[in-house]
Amino acid sequence: MSKPFRITRARVPGHVVFIVALVALWEFLGARGVIDPTFAGRPSGIASYLWRGFITDRNLWNDLSYTLAAAAIAFVGGSLTAILAGLLFTMLPGLHRACEPYLSLLNAMPRIALVPLFLLWFGLGIGSKIAVAVSLTFFIVLAATVAGIRGVNSDHLVLSRALGATPGQIFFKVTLPSAVPVIFSGLRLGLVYALLGVVGAELIAAEHGLGQVLAYLQSTFDMDGVMALLLLLALLGLSITVAMNWIEKKLLVWQ
Amino acid sequence: MSRPVGLAQTAPAHEHIAAVNLPPTIAIRDLTMRFGAGTADAVLAVDNVSLSLAPGEFVSLVGPSGCGKTTILNLLTGLLKEEADGDVRVLGRPPREGNPDIAYMLARDSLLPWRTALDNAAFGMEVRGLPRRERESRARDLLQQVGLGDFADKFPKALSHGMRQRCALARTFALDSPVLLMDEPFGALDAQTKLTLEDLLMQLWSAHRKTVVFVTHDLAEAIALSDRVIVMSARPGRIVADVAIDLPRPRDVRKLQTDHRFHDLYAKLWRLLEQGAAAHE
Repeated sequence: MSKPFRITRARVPGHVVFIVALVALWEFLGARGVIDPTFAGRPSGIASYLWRGFITDRNLWNDLSYTLAAAAIAFVGGSLTAILAGLLFTMLPGLHRACEPYLSLLNAMPRIALVPLFLLWFGLGIGSKIAVAVSLTFFIVLAATVAGIRGVNSDHLVLSRALGATPGQIFFKVTLPSAVPVIFSGLRLGLVYALLGVVGAELIAAEHGLGQVLAYLQSTFDMDGVMALLLLLALLGLSITVAMNWIEKKLLVWQ
Repeated sequence: MSRPVGLAQTAPAHEHIAAVNLPPTIAIRDLTMRFGAGTADAVLAVDNVSLSLAPGEFVSLVGPSGCGKTTILNLLTGLLKEEADGDVRVLGRPPREGNPDIAYMLARDSLLPWRTALDNAAFGMEVRGLPRRERESRARDLLQQVGLGDFADKFPKALSHGMRQRCALARTFALDSPVLLMDEPFGALDAQTKLTLEDLLMQLWSAHRKTVVFVTHDLAEAIALSDRVIVMSARPGRIVADVAIDLPRPRDVRKLQTDHRFHDLYAKLWRLLEQGAAAHE
């Protein structure tokens, strides 16, 4: 999955110089009309948009919280049901075999295509966004859970059985802990996809949310705003990855 | 079908044990096992094996791979669900899975990577329901005995191969089961580490006095450790010879490497092993 995001301290000055130079060049070329600000925006415009949105007008906080709330609800709900389904499937392999073709079919569908349907079922509000995100997160975490539980070391199982461990002991002391790293990498990916699902659905139709703001700015040709939103979404995705890496490091010290 | 030589030699030993009124810890009589019985390609894995171990005896099973050594071991643990002909007893009872009288050790250390050395050493006792205080103090004691006293809080990833197998030894001996079944426990180690761990096993065995069935394909290891070495033939596994190792105890495995009696036994057993392998080619 994704590599841990890390910048060594020694490289920080280099990155700062590069970014400052890039922004200055962009601003300069925009002012000279070499890059058309109507299509690419300008760093000063992007900065002032974010300043207004978060500091003076404060209108972006509301949309940000809608997007984050939808992603968080979808992530928690989708992951929990996926882990439970994964556990159920490993306990009842027959059920898994029976469900597998249908799950594969659903998982093969481009989930964004479900947005029109979910808008009709769950409305313009947060419900349809959660539904799209769940439809992405669920399958990712389910696959990881099943793979993690199947990947248990058979030596550990043989040893535990020889020691006289009960099926419950084997599950809680051997199978589940050994599956945690794989489940966790599924959760990390699932969270990124939850955000993707929410923003994607908001772009199509919504009352609130960063995706809805982005669609509005695009339709009014506010390129400074569009660029600001893209930057915001990139930083949001990055913070999620960094946070998950940090949790993983704390949780899986033994790895 | 030739009768295995070992049967004739095991019988007097059995009588001897009966004479001092101690039943054998492990008794296998006329064991025959087929895998895939009833199908066209049924394989005869073990052919008419009889064998008995007195309490506290250390017996090695050696033979070419596929000779059924591990099959016999797995049968004793109760992990094997295949039908077997013959009679198998551990402490007078038929084998069953999770028998608390048995501690089992594999070639790979099988340490749980998310547990510290201490929690791994305590794992067997935990599964068998010993209270936490007792199992932790026993595990700590055993880690001390295998030389890992300072590594109790380390995770397996921080331990070398040899140290991990020491930890597995601690887990095995911490169980305090009278019977130890070991399936090539040092098979994956380099030659020097192997000698060190063999010495350690001898110390632990002298201190705890278990009945041990030790499966290996390393003849030198079998001779250095055992009271008796049982040589098995290639598949189907039969007992070719049952040789008493009369080297004095306590033994120093490293010193044995240059001992002429050790080498005489090695030569003798090597010839038997070769005959056993050749007989079926």
